[in-house]
Amino acid sequence: MANRTDPLAKSIHGTNPQNLVEKIVRSKIYQSTYWKEQCFGLTAETLVDKAMELDHTGGTYGGNRKPTPFLCLALKMLQIQPDKDIVVEFIKNEDYKYVRVLGAFYLRLTGTVADVYQYLEPLYNDYRKIRQKLSDGKFTLTHVDEFIDELLTKDYSCDTALPRIQKRWVLEASGTLEPRRSALEDDFEEEEEDKEDEQPMEIDEPNGREKHDHYRGRSPTRDRDRDRKHERHHRDRDYDRDRDYDRDYGRGRERDRDRDREGDRDRDRDRDRDRHRVRDDEYGRDRDRERDRDVRERGRRDRDRGRRRSRSRSRSRDRRERDREDGEYRRRRGRGSASPRGRAEDGGPRDEPKKRKEKKEKKGEGNAPDPNDPEIIEMNKLRASLGLKPLK
Amino acid sequence: MIEVVLNDRLGKKVRVKCNEDDTIGDLKKLVAAQTGTRADKIRIQKWYNIYKDHITLADYEIHDGMGLELYYD
Repeated sequence: MANRTDPLAKSIHGTNPQNLVEKIVRSKIYQSTYWKEQCFGLTAETLVDKAMELDHTGGTYGGNRKPTPFLCLALKMLQIQPDKDIVVEFIKNEDYKYVRVLGAFYLRLTGTVADVYQYLEPLYNDYRKIRQKLSDGKFTLTHVDEFIDELLTKDYSCDTALPRIQKRWVLEASGTLEPRRSALEDDFEEEEEDKEDEQPMEIDEPNGREKHDHYRGRSPTRDRDRDRKHERHHRDRDYDRDRDYDRDYGRGRERDRDRDREGDRDRDRDRDRDRHRVRDDEYGRDRDRERDRDVRERGRRDRDRGRRRSRSRSRSRDRRERDREDGEYRRRRGRGSASPRGRAEDGGPRDEPKKRKEKKEKKGEGNAPDPNDPEIIEMNKLRASLGLKPLK
Repeated sequence: MIEVVLNDRLGKKVRVKCNEDDTIGDLKKLVAAQTGTRADKIRIQKWYNIYKDHITLADYEIHDGMGLELYYD
């Protein structure tokens, strides 16, 4: 197999490194012409040349999801597993932004948490533009720092699930990582100092914290204090971001719980339909009569054939309809104590076709959803959460 | 409102209620919410026509009860 991993490659995150790219995407890459033509027999050195030729990033695009060259090269790196020094050189180089991005992506996939933060965070100061191919084949403009931010904070990038890494503040708390120092921090400090020089002793400052600072005046501990304040401020920001994520997570959980409740809802719906049936009884009466005639007629035919057909009739029901009803049917049957054959005797199947007819009837009438149907309410809730208009 | 059936022929068959003026992209989101597969990993097609995200169901003449093919990528 030409696409097998280098036998000397170490396993990463417990598997073959190539498995870090999802199976479907991987097979798309193996099929792509860029992979076959350009990536054949690449080594760590020749791969650099190919990486220098890159002119956009992105995952897969187009109707049949062709992989971008960027993704092909990333998979190639996973396959041949270049040394860490080489990857670090990729990231450190200043001239080729796509080489840098490729290195960063690879390191994010394979590196340890400490390495990821150590080597990727300096790239937050790289504001160069990069082109990114979207899944519909159009290009969009991003920047290297945005891409890095995506790698560090999201769990999915370029159609690839990124391995989980701890949040920054977790690592800071455990001492693995120093608090991050933004490149803007010096600017902030200078600015603040300028401000203070302008208005040296203003007591009726509206901002409480500022006032506090001023009260303390020019004590020798002041500088250190301010440093700490900076640090805290910075870390607060990180916490905020994390909390945001937590909230998202919570929402996901809630939705799960909703789904758990589905059982209840189904029961509600059943009850609802029963009510409808009662209400619509006289309305469907002549249909009943029709059906009675049907049954009678069929009964006669059965008798003519001299064969019991009560079971086989329910079998030979129109298949599509049965598919539709199947779930509910089975559920209802499961709840009722009657066995399938028992039902046939106690008049169960009589209800069955009637309900189905009703359903069909409802669909025929302009397909207006019943606004009180719990299923519709649920669906509309879901649609609202996805930002769509309610069902018409 | 219409209801369409999406079948991946691998054991997943979902019925989705939607509007006719929903786009395929919206439909994918609804399917994603029902099945748990990411919306951008879903491909909806009919025979060899891969449906595009920005086109509405009405434009593809998708009607009530119609079946679509569900693929993943």
